[in-house]
Amino acid sequence: MKNNEIAIEIKNMSKNFIIYADKANTLKERIIRFNKNNKEIRMVLENINLKIKRGETVALIGVNGSGKSTLLKLITKIIYPSKGTIKVNGKVSSLLELGAGFHPDFSGRENIYFNASIFGLTKSEIDKRIDSIINFSELGEYIDSPIRTYSSGMYMRLAFSVAINVDADVILIDEILAVGDQRFQEKCMNKMLELKKQGKTMVFVSHSAAAVEFLCDRAIWLNNGKIEMDGNTKDVLEKYTKICG
Amino acid sequence: MKLFNEIYKYREFLKTSIKKDFRGKYKKSILGVLWSFLNPLFQLLIYALVFPFILKNDVDNYIIFLIVALMPWNFFNMTILQSAACIVSNGGIIKKVFFPREILPISTTTSNLINFLITCIIVFAALFISGIGIGPSIVMLPLIVLIQYIFQLGLSFIFSSITVYIRDIEYLLNVFMMLMFYMCPIVYSADMIPNKFLPLFKLNPMFHIIEYYRQILYYKQMPNITNLLWLLGICIIILALGLMIFKKLEKRFAEEL
Repeated sequence: MKNNEIAIEIKNMSKNFIIYADKANTLKERIIRFNKNNKEIRMVLENINLKIKRGETVALIGVNGSGKSTLLKLITKIIYPSKGTIKVNGKVSSLLELGAGFHPDFSGRENIYFNASIFGLTKSEIDKRIDSIINFSELGEYIDSPIRTYSSGMYMRLAFSVAINVDADVILIDEILAVGDQRFQEKCMNKMLELKKQGKTMVFVSHSAAAVEFLCDRAIWLNNGKIEMDGNTKDVLEKYTKICG
Repeated sequence: MKLFNEIYKYREFLKTSIKKDFRGKYKKSILGVLWSFLNPLFQLLIYALVFPFILKNDVDNYIIFLIVALMPWNFFNMTILQSAACIVSNGGIIKKVFFPREILPISTTTSNLINFLITCIIVFAALFISGIGIGPSIVMLPLIVLIQYIFQLGLSFIFSSITVYIRDIEYLLNVFMMLMFYMCPIVYSADMIPNKFLPLFKLNPMFHIIEYYRQILYYKQMPNITNLLWLLGICIIILALGLMIFKKLEKRFAEEL
């Protein structure tokens, strides 16, 4: 396999979190409790080896606390592995949380600029996309009102529209498809399908078996920080529902 | 080099971030950006009343003597105090999105630079009104501003990243900056410092920076270029050191916040 065909490569990667029973945030606390061991190291992901090819759509499934979101955060480089390496080829857009950096007092349009700039877009790149973002969000004339006046559905629609229109090679999505009403959700699904056809690599965390089956060719089942099963979506889902059902 | 590349890619975010830092400061106040002028002006008046009359200071044109040092000091003071908070207060986006974290201290330092350049209007107005005016030494001013900016950027990287782990830094700095104010020749002139303490004062790069501002603007003298380049070199080393510390500490920002 040639190297440029691989979008994400994870080698012998482990991640621990240091869990403080009661965190010493200040110097005083640190001095007073010096040597008192009130922390615990928790292994969240253990020895993960993973190769995701360019153009693949992969679902991460597993029960709560199995390390799915942590894995996505590691791929985006919000956090770093304790051991091993993660290599990502291409530009990453992560939809881990919608509306990062949204400011309630600014209008929808201004927030598009601010939010998209956090994803690393320049002004001219945003200018080019702004119409399709506004169209996709279906906000119409509300786009120029401050977003504190938006309903939660409108807010999510705007945030999703920005994130999905950032032209990335690798798209990471964390259980955010519960956006808007039924019709808008379908629209999002179709948009994702379109991105898939364009050859984007997608990794997405979901608890919805239907969505996973609809979108993904491959599923990875995480259990207690380890890969339990990796393979064809249908096989993995079948086994997963049998055991965790 | 990789860092420059990344920051260049995220330049739009840097721009909006500087704008937000700069505008956000006076948002919802009636006088808005006017406070950028009023604040230092009132501060100047207070010092100009206290030091000559009460402490019997007999420097010529004391207001000018004071203003050319006080404005750079304010630039320093504000940058350092805001830097300490700049990572912690942006915890929300740090935990959610990837972007070069360096942008936050750079943005804090730069928005304060813009603020400083605006207050320079007061400085020049005062220079002309008092009849001192400007001399050829003014050509060195941009270099001094650059040196100060590099120095502050370095400290900004250091304090912003350490504060994430030890929150006390923010409060310790408040006290420390009060001390620093009197360790720099702002309200007094450097030759009032007893000789045996002078080497201690001179360890502080800010001491020299303030001295240069006064030399260029108040005394209208050309500074010694060799010394100036030495200072520039030291400030670049501090910046490199700051970046190294920041790079080391930034990996666990999202977990510590």
